[in-house]
Amino acid sequence: MTFHDQVIAILPKLRVQALSLTRNRAAAEDLVQDAVCNALAAQNSFIPGTNFSAWMHRILRNRFISDLRKRRETTDIDDVPAASFASPATHEDSLALKDLSMALSRLPSDQREALVMVVIQGMSYEELAEATDCAVGTAKSRVFRARRQLEAWMSGDLPTNDKLRVKVKALRDAMDARRRAGHSSEDLMLS
Amino acid sequence: MTAGDKRKSSVNDIKAEEQDSPFGIWLSRGLHQLFDDVANEPIPDELLRLIEEDRNK
Repeated sequence: MTFHDQVIAILPKLRVQALSLTRNRAAAEDLVQDAVCNALAAQNSFIPGTNFSAWMHRILRNRFISDLRKRRETTDIDDVPAASFASPATHEDSLALKDLSMALSRLPSDQREALVMVVIQGMSYEELAEATDCAVGTAKSRVFRARRQLEAWMSGDLPTNDKLRVKVKALRDAMDARRRAGHSSEDLMLS
Repeated sequence: MTAGDKRKSSVNDIKAEEQDSPFGIWLSRGLHQLFDDVANEPIPDELLRLIEEDRNK
């Protein structure tokens, strides 16, 4: 198989990795295209007989990180809507799927990527470590933490990194406490 | 079996256990519903053209 045949063959997997990182289909398509351009430009640095898949996944990941750094100089990434993993809702369990999609978008991108590459692409922890340029223990820990966090969220726990929901909950609790004590809660809304 | 093989096998046993739990099965099914379409979509012509042009340089 030639270098270019290998690039074409790995495109579906790159798309899945790109979507897991960007959380957005259009951004994922752009990321794959940019990563392919980088790979074509750097093809002389690929050593035949070594792990092409890991090499290609690392290029895409590095491109994502580099784009993210550039964007952070001008925008707050948290303001970008965590759009669209989900296909149009045609499944009977589409509500649970929507919840899963939202919970996934709250995970750190490295955990989301790790989970998807293991579950969807069937990678071993060793392959994941090579594709994401980290130690096997780190790869395993990312998958483990992603699973545990999703399980907690899907069973109803409040996401600890969801600042807005945490603030709203704290405000509600404070208002309830003041009402119970016979005080007005309006001043809390202004603080 | 070397120590490295044993470690690898134990890590993969843990992975299998997690994937076979009820939540693991549900999660795997959900992730496939979210991601399989993307993997199976046709490759955009523009991207294929880019690769073929580089091949023919």
